[in-house]
Order: sequence, then structure tokens, then C-alpha cells
Amino acid sequence: VTVARLSSRQLALVVLTLVGWAAARSAAQAITISRVADAVNVKAPTFTFIKGEPLARLRDGRSVRVDLALAVLPRAGAASVAETRQTFVLSYDLWEERFAAALVGPPARSTAYLTSWAAEAWCVEQLAVPVSALGTLVDRQFWVRISYRILDSDAAAAASTEGGAGYTLQSLIEALSRRRKASEWTNSVEAGPFRLRP
Amino acid sequence: MRTLKVLIALLLLPAWSAHAQETDPPEGTRISGAQVSGVDLDRLSPGLQADIGKLVGAPLNRRQLGDLAARIEAEQPRFVAAIRAVPDSEGGARVVFVVARIREQDQEANINAKYIVEDAEVRGVPDRDLTSQMQSDLQALTGKPLDVEAAERLAEQLRAAFPNYDVTRRMRRGSQAGRLRLIYELRRSEWSRWLRFEPLTPNPSVAYHSDQGWGVFMPVGLSARDTRVMPLFAFGHTDELIDEISGFGIRAESRRLGTERLGMSFEWTNYDADWREPTVTTIATRPELPGLYRNRSTVTPLVRFAITPRVTVAGGVSITELDSLNKDPLTEEALLDVLPSRMANAFVGSVSFVLLSRGEGRRHDLGAAFSVRAGSESLQSDLVYTRYAGSANYLYRWGRQSVLVSAMAGGTSGDAPLFERFTLGDAATLRGWDKYDISPVGGSRMVHLSTEYRNRGLAIFIDSGSAWDRGAERRFRVSAGLGLHTGPFFATVGVPLNTDELRAVFTTGFRFSFNAERAQ
Repeated sequence: VTVARLSSRQLALVVLTLVGWAAARSAAQAITISRVADAVNVKAPTFTFIKGEPLARLRDGRSVRVDLALAVLPRAGAASVAETRQTFVLSYDLWEERFAAALVGPPARSTAYLTSWAAEAWCVEQLAVPVSALGTLVDRQFWVRISYRILDSDAAAAASTEGGAGYTLQSLIEALSRRRKASEWTNSVEAGPFRLRP
Repeated sequence: MRTLKVLIALLLLPAWSAHAQETDPPEGTRISGAQVSGVDLDRLSPGLQADIGKLVGAPLNRRQLGDLAARIEAEQPRFVAAIRAVPDSEGGARVVFVVARIREQDQEANINAKYIVEDAEVRGVPDRDLTSQMQSDLQALTGKPLDVEAAERLAEQLRAAFPNYDVTRRMRRGSQAGRLRLIYELRRSEWSRWLRFEPLTPNPSVAYHSDQGWGVFMPVGLSARDTRVMPLFAFGHTDELIDEISGFGIRAESRRLGTERLGMSFEWTNYDADWREPTVTTIATRPELPGLYRNRSTVTPLVRFAITPRVTVAGGVSITELDSLNKDPLTEEALLDVLPSRMANAFVGSVSFVLLSRGEGRRHDLGAAFSVRAGSESLQSDLVYTRYAGSANYLYRWGRQSVLVSAMAGGTSGDAPLFERFTLGDAATLRGWDKYDISPVGGSRMVHLSTEYRNRGLAIFIDSGSAWDRGAERRFRVSAGLGLHTGPFFATVGVPLNTDELRAVFTTGFRFSFNAERAQ
């Protein structure tokens, strides 16, 4: 039985773990932009949000609300200079086994009979930032950030019935009972630099 | 009327949005006024109202406005909030949060609304517990296209009527194409129970420590609502212990013995012990300590009683047989004089407390426990000793950030066997140190404090503590490091601080929680 110190091999393992994790994160941030008329559109094929618990809820025939935001940044991590947000309602056709998506609010748009990745792509395509909103970034490099927030409608319903109840023992116990069911899922990816072609 | 307001608001939104592309005031513009439209301000929390009020006079910051809009939506989950910043005549900006109810669109957007509900049922509670109104509403849902609004309304009624249950609404394909079955599943919520399942010791994990190697302690859970049977497996597990254990066991547990306040568990384990070189060489110089053993076999029956849903006491006995070594642990040579096995039989008692709360995206978890184990001649124990240990954990989480503070302390007196002695310097305590350097045979006293900050899975921590023997020099050790946590996976690099030796300890693996109250 030996007692080992952190050897170079183990250090390499640490570095590889961290590099692999960073690489995985950066790979997930693949975003392309395009200029369509007077708007900047994005495509993010690896940006997924129909997964995990929300996917399970969809497969139970329930709908989930997704808030998507597209922000234009002057540099990585900076405050946005232009931003657009859209809200979508997703559902899963139990008989067709395909996803449907609807854009909340006028103009009403919806689509159906899509695979999960096609539904995600459709939602992202609905995000467009007017070129005019870019200001001085029109002929400069910029970054973009896409983020999503998924709200669980059932948890929302429960939350609304609890409103103003305060920290009673009952509300505490109830809150605890739903602890494993996170009511919100969020994530964001950032990519750049980009430059608009004239 | 409300729907009409919503429609008006939604109709106005695109017009405002289109207008915004041309006239949005730039960042930094002084805000001359801030208001919320579409929902009564009184429905927002006082803190949020105050933060919106503080916008007046501040420079325009769209990220800040976005955060406030998100808080409005978090407090009013069935509403969506849009931000509008309008230039005023004096060169400032007026900020309006346009809030609109989205429920109607949400419900209509469910594509399954085109299918006919052929059957609707409630599972988990007897039909007699449903009110006539609920049964009538269930009946009303069947035989026609899915009414998502009515289905959710019934779910809310069930939640209100059965506050101690988790209500889940599911839909499944019906017996014919184009038909659905609507199912409400009611499951007794974990936290409405008086008793939770007993935590496992040691913590289930698959862990690697760069000084100590790999170790596995893994239960296989077979649980029902009130009972749990868990086969336990250990392979070279050394976390939290001096002996490196390999073996198996089983735990059977019930948390309802006639009443929800009373439960019991029975655990049997049989572990072979391997000993590291520092332990073997040190124990040779410490004749006052109970010696090494080849195998330990333990039976632990426990009875638990819940005083309140938050305070639980437990009591029982732990009967342990320690088989003596029959060969030298280092050379593997057979020993000529094998001593008879010894018993370490102890009374066991503990009290635990748990309190959790959350609100406005924040969460507090507080847990504390104190346990006493007393080896007694009245239990025919060869080793007479007392071991007491206390621990407290606090987790504060807000957004994706969290702070964990944990503290523990303990002591032993008498002839405590080696598996009862305290160690620090593993994958969870004094990360950066090696317990076989700190105290190769453990200590009879221990104190440890750990503080960790996490943000999106990345962690920074500082650990401090000491494990020592009564009367011996006590050295307080400190370490700090970085960590990565993704689900059950963890990886840390810890560096000891108050030492001349520059070194780092890497730990990684998976840590599993089979106990609902454990804050991870």
C-alpha cells in the first residue's frame, strides 16, 4: 500500500478534465448569424432546451412555456446593446409523437409535427434583432447571447395559490415536498465575434 | 374583461416594439419614471416594488430592466412581462413594464386539445375522498376534446384539497386513435411526512483521492412508499474512515409502524478491513489503542420517533464483532498467535433537526444532528467507550449561486474501536490534506468547519479543522481550493495552506444522496 502525492500524470488528468469540460462547453456554444433583410437572425443547432424534466412534462401531454432571448453584445460578457425576447408554448402530440410550438402574442405563429431539434430551431429562428438596433456595431465585431427560461406551468399554478401565505409550517412542508421539481430551467450560450457583411 | 385587457396589451406590444427599434433611448439615459402596466402593483412583493421605484433617477440599464421583468414573471408565473423604455420630452426615459396574462394562449397552444378524452381518473387517494364536485368535474372532462383549462383547474382543486400530496397531471394515449386518457396522480409529498428515511453512513459515493486512491460505497435502493430495502456494497472504501472496507450489507427500513411518527431500521454489514502503512506503523507505537482487526460485522437495529416533522430522535443498539488479524497487514505473513475476536457493542442514540424554506428564488436549508454511541459491558462489549458527534449544515441558494457552511465536532472516551475514531482529510473534509498524514490512526477529538461558494457548478472552498487525541498537541489545519459540481459528479483540487509543503490533492467521483433531507 503506497501513499501517493499528486504526480504529473494525475496533474495531467486534472488538466484534461478541465480542458474537456471547457471544450464541451464551447462546442455547445456553436452559433451562426445571418442577415435577412433588415434583421439579424441566428442559428444555434446545439442550443437545446427540450430535454430533461421539461421534456418529461411534454411527454405527459402538458405544455411548457419557453422564454427565449437574443442579445447583441459589444464584447464577450458585456451588457447587451440590443435585445429581443419571445415567449413560446411547446407541446407534444401524444398520437403523432411530434412537437408543436406556438409564439405567444401577435403576430400569432405556430408550427407542429416537428422533431424536438426542429422545434427548437424554429423557436430560435423567430428571434431577430433589427440591424438598426446594433448602432455602431453594424460595421464592427460583436457577440451574441441566446438564453432560455422554461417555466413549469404546474409549479406556477401551485405558487400562485400559495401567494402571501408566508413561512407557515404548512407552506414550508409544501415547498419542501416540491423541492426536487425545479420550477424553472434556464441556460444561456454566448458566441462571437461576428461581423455583419455589408 | 381581463382577457380583453390582455388582448389590448398584446396588440400594443408589437406596435411599441416596432417603434422601439427607432426611438429606444440609449443606455445611461436618466430614468424619469417607472411603472407597471397590466397587473396591480400590490400583487408584487414589497421588495420588487421598491426596486422598481428605485429606477427613477437611475441611468437606463437594460440588463437591470430585464432582471426586474424576470422577477415580475417569477412572482406572477402566469404573466409575461415586456420592457418598454420611452424617451420623454426632457431627454430622459420613462420605463414601463407591460405585463400580460398568458394562460389563455398557453392552454390553446397545447396540440393535444384536439383529441377526445375517453377517461379521466384520480390515482393515489380513494374515490370516497374526492368531493362530489371533483367527481363531477372529472366526469365533465370525458367524452369531449381535451379542455386544458378545465383539466388544470381540477388539478388545482386537488392540490388545494390534498395539501400533503404532490399532484401530477398526465395524459396517455387512449384505446383508440385520437383519444386520450387523463390521469391525476397523487403521491404523498416527502416533506409532509413525519419521518424521512435514515441517512446512510458513510455517504454513498464513488470517489477518487489522489493520495488515497479509489473507493466505492454504493447502496442499491429498493424502496416503496414507507419501506426501503437497500443492499450495500463497499469496495476499498476509505472515505470518512481509517479502515479501508470492502464487503456488503443490507438495510431494511420502515418509516411507518402503525403511526407515521414511528419507524425502525435494521442494518447488517460485513466488511473486511485493509490497513494503510501509516496506520500499521503508528498503531504499533500506540499500545493504548484497540488494535487492528481483519473483519468487522455489525448488526444495528434502530427505532425512530418523530417529535415533530422537523425533530426526530432515534435509539437502538449496535452489535459489532471485530475479528482479529490472522496475518500481518503489510507482509501478508500468517500470524502465529491469533487473538480471539472482540465485541464492540454500543447503545446508539441520536436527535436530528431539519428546516428548509424557500421564496423569491432563494432557498435556505438547515440541518443539524447529534449522536451518542456508548459501548457498554451491559451489552457484553469488550470495548467500553463513549462516542459523541454533532454536525450542522446550512445551505443558502439564490439563483445559480449558493453558499454551503458545514460544521462538525465530536469526541470519544474509553476504548473506542478504530472505526469509531475521527478522521479528516478526505474527499469531503480538509480537502488538500491526506488523513493518513494528519492522524494515521484517527483522533479521539475532532472539529471541522467548511465554507464553500458555488456559482453555476464552479466552487471555491476553504476547509479547516483538526483531529487529535486528548492530551496530545492539537494542530489546526486549513486548506482551500476549487471545485466543479455537475449533478452527482464532483472534482476538486485542494491545497493545504498552513504548511511548508507545496502540494495539491485532487479528488473526483460521484456522490449520491439517498436521503431527501441531505442538502447537495
